Amino acid sequence: MYPRPIPEDARVQRALYLGGVALVVILWLLPLLAVMLTSIRSNEELMAGNYWGWPQKFSLIENYKAVFEQTAMLRFFLNSLLITIPSVIGVLILSTLTGFVLSRYPFCGSNLIFALFVGGNFLPAQIMMIPVRDLMVRLGLYDTVYALIIFHIAFQTGFATLFMRNFIAALPGELFQAARAEGASPFQTLRHVVLPLVRPALAALAILTFTFVWNDYFWAIVLTQSDAVKPVTAGLNNLRGEWTSAWNIVSAATIFVALPPVVMFFMMQKHFVAGLTMGAVKG
Amino acid sequence: MSSVELRKVDKHYGSYHALKTVDLKIEKGEFVVMVGPSGCGKSTLLKTIAGLEAINSGQIVINGRDVTREEPGDRGIAMVFQSYALYPHMTVAENMGFGLRMAKRPRTEIEAAVKRAARILRLEEQLDKRPKQLSGGQRQRVAIGRAITRSPEVFLFDEPLSNLDAALRTQMRVELSGLHAQLGSTMIYVTHDQVEAMTMADRIVILNKGRIEQVGSPLELYANPANIFVAGFLGAPRMNFIEAKAVSVEESAVSVAAAGLPALSFGGIDVGGFSAGDTLTIGIRPEALHVEPSNRAMPVFSSRVRLVEQLGRETVLYVDASPLQATNSDSGTGNFTLQLNKVSAIGVGATLQVGFEIGDAYLFGPDGRTLTPRKPVAST
Amino acid sequence: MSRLWRRNRHWVTPALFLLPGLILFGTVILAASIETVWISLHDWDGIGAKAWVGLANYVELVDDPQFYVSLKNNVIWLLIFMLAPPIGLALALIVNQRIRGMRFLKSLFFVPLVLATVTVGVVFGWVYDPNFGLLQLVFSAFGATAPALLSDETFVTFAVAAAALWPQIAFCMILFLAGLNSLNDDLIAAGRVDGARGWRMLRHVVLPQLSQVGFIAIAVTVIGALRSFDMIAVMTSGGPYGSSTVLAYQMYQESIFSYRFGYGAAIATVLFVIMIVFIAWYLNGLIKAERSNV
Repeated sequence: MYPRPIPEDARVQRALYLGGVALVVILWLLPLLAVMLTSIRSNEELMAGNYWGWPQKFSLIENYKAVFEQTAMLRFFLNSLLITIPSVIGVLILSTLTGFVLSRYPFCGSNLIFALFVGGNFLPAQIMMIPVRDLMVRLGLYDTVYALIIFHIAFQTGFATLFMRNFIAALPGELFQAARAEGASPFQTLRHVVLPLVRPALAALAILTFTFVWNDYFWAIVLTQSDAVKPVTAGLNNLRGEWTSAWNIVSAATIFVALPPVVMFFMMQKHFVAGLTMGAVKG
Repeated sequence: MSSVELRKVDKHYGSYHALKTVDLKIEKGEFVVMVGPSGCGKSTLLKTIAGLEAINSGQIVINGRDVTREEPGDRGIAMVFQSYALYPHMTVAENMGFGLRMAKRPRTEIEAAVKRAARILRLEEQLDKRPKQLSGGQRQRVAIGRAITRSPEVFLFDEPLSNLDAALRTQMRVELSGLHAQLGSTMIYVTHDQVEAMTMADRIVILNKGRIEQVGSPLELYANPANIFVAGFLGAPRMNFIEAKAVSVEESAVSVAAAGLPALSFGGIDVGGFSAGDTLTIGIRPEALHVEPSNRAMPVFSSRVRLVEQLGRETVLYVDASPLQATNSDSGTGNFTLQLNKVSAIGVGATLQVGFEIGDAYLFGPDGRTLTPRKPVAST
Repeated sequence: MSRLWRRNRHWVTPALFLLPGLILFGTVILAASIETVWISLHDWDGIGAKAWVGLANYVELVDDPQFYVSLKNNVIWLLIFMLAPPIGLALALIVNQRIRGMRFLKSLFFVPLVLATVTVGVVFGWVYDPNFGLLQLVFSAFGATAPALLSDETFVTFAVAAAALWPQIAFCMILFLAGLNSLNDDLIAAGRVDGARGWRMLRHVVLPQLSQVGFIAIAVTVIGALRSFDMIAVMTSGGPYGSSTVLAYQMYQESIFSYRFGYGAAIATVLFVIMIVFIAWYLNGLIKAERSNV
């Protein structure tokens, strides 16, 4: 361990250390805390200029109710779910297949294909914007959730293939040789050997992909127009333009947008951190 | 009809030539051990028989059927891996029945086969456990059990005991030999451990750099190595080698000289392939060297003891016999190794006269081939 | 099952497994990226027919002052983002202790990473607000007035990039924490026996072991800086007067707002070339690392 661990019996030191770290965390999250605080403030207080003081009146319920009733955020929220969940499922299926093949069936060109997946995954989205938008227009999918689902599945498959390929490659090779020697077909190997063993990787990948897709803004504004299909990120930005002075409502909507990935993160923290570092570190 | 036959099998990895025109016939029911230093191609050879590695040219025939292009599952083989390769998410019973399940055999048949294998390997109590809950020896037995349930024509073992500790390894060695006697199947076993090779094999195949150096029964190989590689590979401590010059070559006899030794004359030699002045190698096994020999006719050299290893029943001496030098010696120092079949009081620093019977010595040609005539094989 | 199928399924099935992902990724991502280069050689409004103009878009680009503003801003983003790895490492070193409660505190540090960039944009719009923002609060504590960062042509890019730094630091921190957790304890112990401590231990024993993670943190940060778009779109829309655009944003603006898809594609192609250089460098480093691990 580095730095040297603070000994268990040094209670005072430990308490001081924890207090210090807590202070740093508060400073670190101060912008977010400010928004959270504003989201429970009443409009009158904001009008009166009380931006930072302790709220005299908590309007938590009023503000969030206003978000649900007076804005289209709930609709956007459902749209985001409609886009994100199929995308995650699609990515998991495709990348398990590609990762399995690229890790266990080396063939001439398999490294090149793998490099294309990895390299393509780092391309800025803007580079492919014009042709992708054009493609979706021509397919008649522009301004539908399908356009976003198809694009997200395609794009995330790059990272997810890298991820699954590395995970499956790290499994003991003799397990796969044994399956082959026992007469298991590739499909049987996938079903009886790969799937049970990659469950933790799938969990990590699911939470990562969920976060990536949920948080997307660029493609939301490039591939959709109408409120009926817009996801929360694009919706939030619109809302900000419409409700310029109602900072409490905007703040509440912001927290509302941030909630699903943050909740997912705290629920599956271990998988998230493991996934992110595995994807990047093991390259 | 032989059980497994390899015909001119060649295997390349890019520019690396892993197997060089390997020819081998294995009879039904034989226990064949393939042995050689690491990187010699023994595991590759086993995997080509299994079908896990494709070959570049040649033919593989199992039970009279050409299986060169068959998938591993269709070759009638079963394999036991070094790491056991047990599926962590399946129970012992599921692991053992995996192959039959993949072949979509009826459940009653699978259960019967698993039960039978479990009985043979004394795993009946463990059937519902997961591999994680088992000891190393038990896992090894499950891996073997998985092979047995498929009732294959040929068992392939890839260094199956190398992950076990010494005591367990000895026990499993005995169990495997017993299993072979019980099942009577053909077994091909790869190891780098010459004790496993010597104790278990009906025949040993010695591989080096992708080539078969020699095939034969353990004692035959020990007594009559075909070349200097086999001579040096089998036997621990290793054979002592002395560089020498051919002084004169006559019909079927050669006289050789080495600094520090009297001139030696070998008879019954195959003299084709070298001439006077060439460098030859004399080989003497450690147990063929005698301390203070009573027989005055023996060639003798004097030496000083550098190190004594007491092994309980035997004593191993490492001696410095300069100007006489051992080449490729065990200790890498040019020292000679002697093995005495008794506890000896000889201490470090002692000066000894060491001698050997000329009939116990081997002579190797410039190309490494054995020149001395066949020696009798100890009868079993 | 036919013999032919049994003999060939060991490669036919994998090929079938690979195809859906490969086709989707190949057409939607790779082919589209390359098509951009093709489009950049045309004059196109996004609806009608494309008219071949050769390199005219690039010629225009070379004389476009806005292009140089974008390029300059990309460099500023890159430089500011380079703060993320060292700050991330510092935070990782601070929190790398195993004490009850640390797990939770650590995970709080990662929160900015899971926020949408839009959220980060809204949050920092709040921070930078000259009337009631956090920044104004700090300035007024010293009796000064906060500058209106987002409407100041000189500071705007720095302000936006600094906001984007927030999640990026969290990302680097996660990477370095993983690196610190996989340190070789024997080497640390050997360092302690040899009398290394504190800074010297960090410099001579710890950092060399973090070099691979450090490489990845830097690479991911470079790529993140070049991808920057959302924050600009949300916080400034490229303004004031186009002073905060980057290549990605300018390209979006030219295409979507001005219907000059060919010209936008030319900007995208420039970004593509810059990016390919970095990606090639990154992949090369990764492959080297993977080889040396085997």
